Amino acid sequence: MLTSLAKILKVLNSEASPWQIGWAIGLGLLAGLLPFGFLTLVILLIVCLFTINLSTFLVVWGLCSGLMFIFGDALEALTWQYAQQPGLLQLLASTEVLQFLHLHHTLVLGAFVLGLILLLPAAWLGAVLVKQYRLRLMNQLQQLKIVQMLNATKLFQLYQKLN
Amino acid sequence: MIRKSGWLVFLALLATVLLLVYVFAGTAIRIGMVYTLEKAVGAEVNIDKVSLSLSPLALTIKDLQITNKDKPTHNTISFTQANAALEVWPALLGYYVVNDLSVDGLAYGTERRSPGKVYRGELAEDSEKVDLAEVLQLDLPDADELMARANLQTEAKGEALQQQASAQKKQLESLKTQLPNKANLEKIQADIKALTDSKIENAADLAAKTEQLKKLQDSLKAEREKVRQVQQQLTQSREQLETAVTELRNANAADWKQLQQLANIGEGGLAPISQILLGDVWGNRIAQLEGIYRLVKPYIPEDFGKGEAADAEPEVTLPNRILPLPSQPYPDFLVRNARINWLIGGGEATISAQDITAQHHIINSATRFKLDVQQLPKLAAFSLNGDFAIRDQMVTNLNWDMAGLALDAMTIGDGERALNLAAGLLGSTGTLKLVDNQVEQQAQVVLQQPDFSSSGNKYIQQLAELLNKQAQIPLTLKATGLVSDPDVSVRSPLDRLLGDALLGEAKEKIAALETRLRQQLDSKLQQQLGAQSEWLALLDQQDSETNALQDSIDNMLNAKLASVKDNAKDRLKDSLRDRLGGDKNKEE
Repeated sequence: MLTSLAKILKVLNSEASPWQIGWAIGLGLLAGLLPFGFLTLVILLIVCLFTINLSTFLVVWGLCSGLMFIFGDALEALTWQYAQQPGLLQLLASTEVLQFLHLHHTLVLGAFVLGLILLLPAAWLGAVLVKQYRLRLMNQLQQLKIVQMLNATKLFQLYQKLN
Repeated sequence: MIRKSGWLVFLALLATVLLLVYVFAGTAIRIGMVYTLEKAVGAEVNIDKVSLSLSPLALTIKDLQITNKDKPTHNTISFTQANAALEVWPALLGYYVVNDLSVDGLAYGTERRSPGKVYRGELAEDSEKVDLAEVLQLDLPDADELMARANLQTEAKGEALQQQASAQKKQLESLKTQLPNKANLEKIQADIKALTDSKIENAADLAAKTEQLKKLQDSLKAEREKVRQVQQQLTQSREQLETAVTELRNANAADWKQLQQLANIGEGGLAPISQILLGDVWGNRIAQLEGIYRLVKPYIPEDFGKGEAADAEPEVTLPNRILPLPSQPYPDFLVRNARINWLIGGGEATISAQDITAQHHIINSATRFKLDVQQLPKLAAFSLNGDFAIRDQMVTNLNWDMAGLALDAMTIGDGERALNLAAGLLGSTGTLKLVDNQVEQQAQVVLQQPDFSSSGNKYIQQLAELLNKQAQIPLTLKATGLVSDPDVSVRSPLDRLLGDALLGEAKEKIAALETRLRQQLDSKLQQQLGAQSEWLALLDQQDSETNALQDSIDNMLNAKLASVKDNAKDRLKDSLRDRLGGDKNKEE
């Protein structure tokens, strides 16, 4: 937990562009919602190919995977209820590529659709918040004693060295 | 912005994962299999090695042994090697399509090098033992008891006949009031007679009398119509009587059959001896097929059949149901070719099967299987082939041909009724069709060179002697109905011979019982038919009365009308002759 907090602080204070962090949040959210599979590998490839902030992506991925243990049941039930459209089922049945992506599984389909819907808003919101943070809060937060204490911990220093 | 090293990072990551899977998958699968199987069987499971090859994607299991929890020094099942080659693309889509499955050195009950651990042990129920002691009981039931148990239809139909007879009696009595009044008819008759006997004076008188006669005719026709209606009702009543009597006689015949079954005295004597000896044995063997049905049932798709409650789903971390797609490219599980090399009784058997699945509608083909056994120490040859398909119904077809099965010494029954079979050779051919849990089976079984012995009662000793004199004992076995409780018929050309010899004393008792039952049933029929004779007498009486009336009215209508006309004609002729005669006399 402490390491995650330190990671986030380091990234926020780094030179990484707000959009790199925003996309990392969006894609981390998408990867976290999805059960591990071929789609996750595709997202990983995108993250590796583009200059997307890896630390933020990994942290958000982990957090969202945890959230799915709480909201997974509801999302799956909702998908089961709304995905029973003959047209959609026919499309999924006739296209083997969609089955290869396991989109005929309720949780994958529900998470993929929700992740896609949230991808852009999450990326945009992330970028805006990073900009606002750097503009208004970064200097003030650096003055806080708790942040200075956190920066002084051996763990954080070790983490900085490793990065 | 593109990260130039992105591909390298991704490929390195992927290669690491695949390498880890390749290196540790075998061990992981082995540990998983041992854990799952031990949990399922409750005894030690050993697997020597599990290896995974990537091209082609195949899993190989070497030296699997499952300890028999009731006999830890032996295995339940073991095999030396099993290999399953999986198709990659269907596997990526989530379907398990096995191209080739082979199992070598499959054996049951082999001895272990060291006794296996048993985690939970319950001695299996010994349901295989055949107890024919009670089957050979020859106690005959009491005729009165049988009559009481039989729920006879004769009585019900007889009561119905009586009720109908009573209703018809009332109806027939009311019919009498509808018939023409005798006094009225006599009056009409007198009127007609008076009219026809009277002299016709002139043309006007003729016209008036014709008019009167016509009126009388009309009233007679009305009375005749009443008689016809009554006759129609009588005909209907007679038909009802015939129907009721036919039903009663049919019910009586059905009752007799039922009583014969209850008393076990069908086919002109006691039920065939082969049925008594082997009926339950064969029934139990057929019922074992239900085990197959139960084994297969969990693999049948949920939407198959009549919507029975599905088993509880296994608990998973996150639910992830598969959407009900209208079609799918592969079955959930399919083995295209399977070959099993089975070590059995000191020899080998080969089992081959094609298209093993529970979703035959997707591949549009049935699962086919074949078993060949040759030259075992105790079996000359055995071949079995068949097919199996789950579509609208689960249909299994089996054909077998077995020759020269050497029977081990066995005892049928116990105590005084024990019949020992020291040796014998068994041959059989047959077919079996299983539709869901309904079985239809036919088999020819021949027991050759039997060696029976008995130290029991004299009947069993006689039976053993008789059976030993036969070069072969042919049997025809049929089983139909529910697989767990089939209706088994065992027949043999020797039935009558054995039955007569073995059951000489019993046959007298059976004959007496049959006579008593027949007499009691006949007396019931006669008693119930009493209502019929009363009804019939009433009908006959009414019939004769109405026929007499009909004749009388017809006579009146025909005869008198003709007589009036003739009379009128005669008078006219006389009158004309008189006139013509008078004129001639005048001219002369």
